[in-house]
Amino acid sequence: MIGAIATAIIQATLVSAVYALIAIGFTMIFGVAGVLNLAHGALLMAGAYVYGIVVMRNIVPSMTYHPAVGVIAGIVVVAILSLLLYELLVRWVEDNVVITFLSTVILAVASTEFLVWIFGGQNIRISLIEGQFALANARVAYYEAIGFAVSWIAIALLWFYVTQTDDGRSILATSMSERGAQLTGVNIRMVRAKTWIIAGALAGLGGMFLGFDSGLSPLMWLNPLAVAFIAVVVGGIGSIKGSVAGAYLIGFIEQITVELIGNGFRGMPTLILLVGFLLFMPQGLFGREFAHE
Amino acid sequence: MSSLTLIFTVLAAASSRASEVFGTIRRTILTPIGRVFDFLLAPVDRAFRPLAKVFNRTLGKFLGTVTGLQLAFVLTTFLLLLTGGIWGASIIAFEPGEGLIALDIRRPLAYACIWAVFAMGWDIQSGYTGYISFGHSVLSGGAAYTTAVLLNEVSSTLPLYVTAPISVFAAVVIGLLIALPSLRLQGPYFSLITFAAVLLFFQATRAFDILGGSAGLRITRVIPAADSFTRYYLLLIPMLLIAVALTVLSRSNYGLIFTAIRENEDAVSAAGINPTKFKIWSFLISSIVMGIGGVMLTAAVSNVDPTQFVQVDRSIEMIAMAVVGGIATVLGAMGGAFVFFLLKEVVLNLFIDEAALRLFVLFLLVVLILVFARDGLFRKLWHRLGQIGGEEP
Repeated sequence: MIGAIATAIIQATLVSAVYALIAIGFTMIFGVAGVLNLAHGALLMAGAYVYGIVVMRNIVPSMTYHPAVGVIAGIVVVAILSLLLYELLVRWVEDNVVITFLSTVILAVASTEFLVWIFGGQNIRISLIEGQFALANARVAYYEAIGFAVSWIAIALLWFYVTQTDDGRSILATSMSERGAQLTGVNIRMVRAKTWIIAGALAGLGGMFLGFDSGLSPLMWLNPLAVAFIAVVVGGIGSIKGSVAGAYLIGFIEQITVELIGNGFRGMPTLILLVGFLLFMPQGLFGREFAHE
Repeated sequence: MSSLTLIFTVLAAASSRASEVFGTIRRTILTPIGRVFDFLLAPVDRAFRPLAKVFNRTLGKFLGTVTGLQLAFVLTTFLLLLTGGIWGASIIAFEPGEGLIALDIRRPLAYACIWAVFAMGWDIQSGYTGYISFGHSVLSGGAAYTTAVLLNEVSSTLPLYVTAPISVFAAVVIGLLIALPSLRLQGPYFSLITFAAVLLFFQATRAFDILGGSAGLRITRVIPAADSFTRYYLLLIPMLLIAVALTVLSRSNYGLIFTAIRENEDAVSAAGINPTKFKIWSFLISSIVMGIGGVMLTAAVSNVDPTQFVQVDRSIEMIAMAVVGGIATVLGAMGGAFVFFLLKEVVLNLFIDEAALRLFVLFLLVVLILVFARDGLFRKLWHRLGQIGGEEP
């Protein structure tokens, strides 16, 4: 029994680390630009597919580079895609919340069809490194451990950037008060572009680790998008700290549900959590950090 | 950082160049074509003006006022729809490599009727109140699954007049379950809950054996597939009735309040009207329409499965249709459904063999419409027609 609980806790911690990567980018874009980017899931998906193309033999046989190259390619390509998404689409419609919502979600569906067209609808396995090790009765795959480490390194770097450098502080300032930031000479356009690039890079990273876990499939954007939503609402919209906390909360609740009830009910308790937060605590756990005008 | 600046410069140059090109196209091609149309259509407008006057005096109160040309347009559209079972049997199309061919498009037309019901059902709630739902396939899917479960578990010979009311009622109950907690909230939260509701329903179809898993539930068709003519009219008539009912509703005080909620919810409260109550009303009406649409779709198919009825793509398709036609215009959403469906099943079919590529192109077109014509094609067309009749732009 104790062993089972330990296993569940370890699994939940590992899953939550990836969820955190997914949620941070989503919340940053909302905090800084006021945009709920529903194509965020499509960016995650792009990261996983880019890794698959660059590294895996079973997708493009002639391209079998080292996994490290694949990870870097995934991050860079998705960061660029994210910037393009902002420059080519979101910038032109962001004055209207409804149109932004609709165009990003329709773009996500279009990306699904694009991937079905190129790669087919089946699930494709991708891997970082094989093998696993034992940790307190639990079997932990190497890629899960790496995902956990990478997630916290990324969070630490982001924290350092946003709080300790002038460049990053301008992002924080913009999310607190756009007008105020503008008055102190912050280039809002540049800040937004940087935010989309950072969010894209994190999404690419998170997407790859989702791919290592459950493979590539054209609909893999759906559940992570819901996770990002819920994590952001639970943590407080726009708060980075909150979205990390929210991601861990969701990861643990999901894991407990899977252990106690069964895999088919994975998403239900988190949804109840979402409704509860919306009704009784709509500002979330850390809602005040990024106050939007 | 310098590469970032470089990307910016390139993008800025590209966008200014693009707007230049658009300007030239507008000046040299679009405006002259528009003038030719104005010239040709002005007599039509004059011919229909007396009829439009009668229409405005008698029905204008319920359906809104029209100019002569707009009335001619509406009448032509309805005539085309009403005779669709006849001309739809063989239209002439051009297929690359094949030349001119005859096509029977009554099947896509019949299914477009069902999707038009969905698009209008989405529009009367999300389009009018501005509370965007990503979960309307839960409502139609709920009705469909209720019918299928009744047929499978109770008796496979239950007639439509028993299953249909229960299924619509089920859609309303599901609608209330979603609307009551979520519509008290403002902003994007509502959309999040509806999105999660789709994922949840999709999961439930696999978690509970009674719902048949990913293979779905087999049922017998109520509307036989063999007779395309009858099927088209059996689906067209309820669709037209719903279209008229929703148009009347949208022109009534209810429609006005729904629009006011979208434009300024605080002002609605300040006027002494409880917005939450009307948001729930709009969702309720929408649930009824979605329930009817779900029953219609169930009657025309032989299998109820999650991919066809529930998956979030279905909700997005409804939204795409309404967007193409014009958000918050009941009849625009209806037209959008026909445009979307005929593009998907007929026009793009001629040029692109790959189903996924076809959908990809189609959704990109929808995004382009959102960016460049966010009011929708039919609303733009409607106002253009009104201008020819001397209406203020």
